[in-house]
Amino acid sequence: MTFQTYDCLQMLPIILLSLSGIALLFLGFQKSRALLLPATLLFLVIAFVANFLDWGKTYMYFRDMLLVNNLAMIFTGVVLLSTFMVVSLSGSLADDEDAQPAEYYAILLFSLVGAIMMIGFENLIMLFVGVEILSVAMYILTGSDKRNLRSNEAALKYFLMGAFATGILLFGIALLYGATGSFVLSGIGNYAHSATNAGGSMLLFYVGMFMLLIGMLFKVSAAPFHFWTPDVYDGAPSLFTAYMSTVVKTAGFAALLRILSVSFSGVYDFWWVAMAVVTVLTLLIGNITAVYQASFKRMMAYSSISHAGYLLIGLVGLSQASKPAIAFYSLAYSLSTIAAFGVLMLVARNRPLNAAVFGDQTTLARTDEHYDAFNGLARKNPLLGFVMAVSMLSLAGIPLTAGFWGKFMVFSAAADRGAVWLLVVAVLMSAVGIYYYFRVVIAMYFREGQTDTIRVAPFYRIVLIAATVLTLALGLLPNLFQGLI
Amino acid sequence: MLSQFGIMFLFILTAFAFIGGILLFGKLLRPDRPTEEKLTTYESGEEPVGNAGVQFNPRFYVVALVFVLFDVELVLLFPWATVFGQPTLIAETGGLWGWFALTEAVVFVVILALGLAYAWAKGYLDWEKPQPQLPTVATKVPTTLYEQVNERYKRPTTP
Amino acid sequence: MSPHLLCILIPLLPLLGFVVNGLGFRKVPTSLVGIVGLAGPVLAFLCVCLLWGNFHAGNDAVIKTTLFDWISVGEMHINFSFQIDQLTMLMLGIVTGIGSLIHLYSIGYMNHDEGYGKFMAFLNLFLFFMLLLVLGSNFVIMFIGWEGVGLCSYLLIGFWNTNTSYNNAARKAFVMNRIGDLGFLLGIFTIMTTFGSVEYTDVFEQVVGMDVNAPVILTITLLLFVGAMGKSAQIPLFTWLPDAMAGPTPVSALIHAATMVTAGIYMVVRANVLFSMAPLTLDIIGGIAIATALLAASIGLLQNDIKKVLAYSTVSQLGYMFLGLGAAAYTAGMFHVITHAFFKALLFLGAGSVIHAMSNEQDIRNMGGLRKSLPITYWTFLVGTIAIAGIPPFAGFFSKDEILAHVYEHSKVLWALGLLGSAMTSFYMFRLLFLTFFGEFRGTDEQKHHLHESPLSMTLPLLVLAVLSVVGGFMNVPEVLGGHSVLAEFMSPLFDQARQANPALFEANALDHGTELMLMSISAGVAIVMAVVAYVMYVRNAAVPAPDSQVRSLPQQVVYGKYYIDDFYDRLIVRPVRGLGDAFYSLGEFVIDAVVGGVAWSVRSSAGVFRRAQSGSIGLYVLLMVLSITLFIALRFFNWKVFN
Repeated sequence: MTFQTYDCLQMLPIILLSLSGIALLFLGFQKSRALLLPATLLFLVIAFVANFLDWGKTYMYFRDMLLVNNLAMIFTGVVLLSTFMVVSLSGSLADDEDAQPAEYYAILLFSLVGAIMMIGFENLIMLFVGVEILSVAMYILTGSDKRNLRSNEAALKYFLMGAFATGILLFGIALLYGATGSFVLSGIGNYAHSATNAGGSMLLFYVGMFMLLIGMLFKVSAAPFHFWTPDVYDGAPSLFTAYMSTVVKTAGFAALLRILSVSFSGVYDFWWVAMAVVTVLTLLIGNITAVYQASFKRMMAYSSISHAGYLLIGLVGLSQASKPAIAFYSLAYSLSTIAAFGVLMLVARNRPLNAAVFGDQTTLARTDEHYDAFNGLARKNPLLGFVMAVSMLSLAGIPLTAGFWGKFMVFSAAADRGAVWLLVVAVLMSAVGIYYYFRVVIAMYFREGQTDTIRVAPFYRIVLIAATVLTLALGLLPNLFQGLI
Repeated sequence: MLSQFGIMFLFILTAFAFIGGILLFGKLLRPDRPTEEKLTTYESGEEPVGNAGVQFNPRFYVVALVFVLFDVELVLLFPWATVFGQPTLIAETGGLWGWFALTEAVVFVVILALGLAYAWAKGYLDWEKPQPQLPTVATKVPTTLYEQVNERYKRPTTP
Repeated sequence: MSPHLLCILIPLLPLLGFVVNGLGFRKVPTSLVGIVGLAGPVLAFLCVCLLWGNFHAGNDAVIKTTLFDWISVGEMHINFSFQIDQLTMLMLGIVTGIGSLIHLYSIGYMNHDEGYGKFMAFLNLFLFFMLLLVLGSNFVIMFIGWEGVGLCSYLLIGFWNTNTSYNNAARKAFVMNRIGDLGFLLGIFTIMTTFGSVEYTDVFEQVVGMDVNAPVILTITLLLFVGAMGKSAQIPLFTWLPDAMAGPTPVSALIHAATMVTAGIYMVVRANVLFSMAPLTLDIIGGIAIATALLAASIGLLQNDIKKVLAYSTVSQLGYMFLGLGAAAYTAGMFHVITHAFFKALLFLGAGSVIHAMSNEQDIRNMGGLRKSLPITYWTFLVGTIAIAGIPPFAGFFSKDEILAHVYEHSKVLWALGLLGSAMTSFYMFRLLFLTFFGEFRGTDEQKHHLHESPLSMTLPLLVLAVLSVVGGFMNVPEVLGGHSVLAEFMSPLFDQARQANPALFEANALDHGTELMLMSISAGVAIVMAVVAYVMYVRNAAVPAPDSQVRSLPQQVVYGKYYIDDFYDRLIVRPVRGLGDAFYSLGEFVIDAVVGGVAWSVRSSAGVFRRAQSGSIGLYVLLMVLSITLFIALRFFNWKVFN
């Protein structure tokens, strides 16, 4: 038996994030909360740098538990970048008496550990552990607005549904182990290849595979396993909704991509139609329901479902090209979503709901997140209007934004597989998407509204601008990022 | 010709049929003589009080959670001791193996201990008794008057 | 400095100027606007000079600079890269050199205008795109520049956008260019599908091995030529150029005479390998070119607007350039591009100076006798006129003569027609000169009182351009006159591949020196004779063109009405399209709205169904999830056929 001493030293991001999470918890004992935000950002930057130390190398850690290669590093980078941006938009937490910023930040960092495990797992046990770390953290953060009944309700719903999905996921893993005798992805892949060729019974394997996929599809909120998404995204505080809809989704798709490409590519013919059906359902439900929403935040929840659909297209067209495509799409989607939520938080904070009209303050969200809140925004706040407009254009997939290239890449991945009908649906649904994304733009630029000039903290402003510039830069020069992969 | 999944389906059907059959079988066989005692909920020998759906003080959960955590920690330490305590390996590596295993366990325990310390320092382990709040009414009538009234109309205590 | 850095700096400098002046419009003080606007082109010109040294030091080897991999789709990679070769160097020199002069001129011409900063910013932006167009190492970069200059042209034609007819002119230019652009774009697509690349070098290498007049090459070259037609104002897409004179005069000089309109010629010369492989296309080009040259020249004979005359003359000269290309005389075409840039920019700037002095009067019937009050303008204008008329030894003579000589080898009929055009050119140019500068002043007293020579910033460019118009021709003196055809030798490597691909095209029987001399003396003689005729008519007899109200003879009326081509287009295309638009609009009120409304309604009603499932009850959610899991497994495993 050999054990290499360098093993754990190079899994730096995971270790660093765990330690810094603990450190943050104890930092929270300080009277002043001012230090927490910069400390969190510093830890994230350190983890980000540490993540890319192994660039260009491929390592398997902990006896086939975790794999680190360039793709995993890219995904980890996207996740860390998203978290960095979300955290930097959280300045107002320090002023909120009910909030516990130290604990929130610590939980965010812990959840990132789970996300990184989901990105690089080689063993299904690690997938499970990662999913659970991430999910449990999310349950807590969803309910973090303790005085808000909707937040509480969302957390409980999320927890119950999530537990149900975890059960299915675990069941799938167990069945797969029963069929193949292995938890290791490549071992399962080998079994799939040899068993298909041998023509033997693959009953357990297929059922296990379906259960596992369904469990994961739940986590990325693909229809028809999406029902929790709108309620949870709507109920959770906007900051954590932004985190959930970007980091969790990116990690979930990285995990799906890994397991499909390593373990199940040999039985592509068996699952692709089912995945395509899920994709179509997700696109239809996500886009069409989003049209009807009056609340911007709820629209974003449905939009996140629809983007799960577009990302699924990349999986249905599984090939070498879908890896960079999904990574790029995740990045583009994360940037725009975070920027949009950043503006939403500013606008909503500026417009507390009138308690007399909307009833007891504790039972409803404390802020106005409807489309109307954006009326006339761009006149007094051109920067916010522009940031929002660019994110909406990017989410809608208009050319010259990152979102366009993201869609283009996943579509072309699917086109190579010949799934034309899928693309037809996807393109039609993108057209529907334009409708609800542009509602915001129209509200901001063409409607009258009594918006005041909103004060934006300098750092907040920088993050918003950076997200917008990155979105446009990736839209103009997609190869900057593509070349990296 | 049944496919393999047909067999699976039959298996599921059989499972349901079996459970239903056993229950039915028991129903047919057993004598049915209910009394009030027999129909009460079993609660470890205690006499059940009220509905099962009452609200518990959430502090129970915090304590229970911490308890379970350390329980699990202990459960882990037993197999850890047997799996890693291999004299041959320790001898082969010149004792390094033993130190390595010990360090890992210590790290594990320390992290949990840190968690406990955090919960303790935050005061989550203190059992705060709820402070009964006396309802106050904004009125100009002095409270002594109420007491007098209460005194006057005091009901004679039942023996 | 390294050539790569220079390549990047050259387009970047004008872009910087655009950013500063554009973003700081109304904030940058007027005195600074001119300096910033001028600095970009001048520094770029210096960079071009340095680059020339580099290029020369490297034995004229092609320099390629890749900035980044811009688009990659499947097997296709489109780099954002620049290519420096002989052709690029020539164009760079013209664009930045003449660009600098015209920027300088604009400072004097425009600095009283309200939109001075905006104007300089647009000019800078134009220069940026034009440089991109000539620097790009593939068709896509060229296309970006192509579209960009079109945009700037649109913005600058309609610069005085409070005037509706100017806006219409801008729109007309834009739409006509779009038609050409579509052809160009289709050509690029065809290149992509045929060769799998848009990089010049890759494409041309592949072309060499193909058959002459292969259908795909014919398609590509014809489509590309449609693009060139739009940009370089050839029949049938030429009517926008005279209207484009609505823009300020420096714009006409820079964009609509010296640089942008020659982009079409640049493109054909750039793709000479492709065109050489398609002699049929070349013949078509030659036919269209001579028709354009004659048509435009004949219209020019009777025009009375000083800028319109120059505009038709530009169209006609562009026709000459294409005529040269049609005879596979690429060097001659480029040579004429260069000399034309000199003397046409000079003429436009001179016209600008006249208009400036005459308080925005453009009708030559109201001018006359200006040579005394505008001496510098007069002398330089005279030089320009002699140059364009093709009287030796000025620049125009050499370039036009070379084209005609090559055409003569190719076809004698074309040569004769070309000579006719040349005669008309000489006539209308001298007519313009005499009517403007000779005779008695015919304007109002107020104008007469106001007459003045332009400031130094305007006359300096005139003088420089006048010198260039005189000596410009000596860069390519043919052997028969004791020269060495320096330009031809310089450009020769550009056509190596074409010669290799289609040797037959270049094997035309060279003219003997006697014939060549004879051709030269004929064309020079014709030019001089026509100048004399114009002198007799307009100076000796002091004829003044009739006012618009007078009844004209039928042929005169047709020519004066510009052959009614605009009306023809209006009847044949504009009105039917507009009618169709109206019809569609009223149809749209009904059908389209119904369809759109129907789609919206169905989306909404299905949203209602989906929304109902979102009741908020966990029990229902779990039930639906379990149902769908069951459904999936059941369908997948028990009824395999449903999915397959």
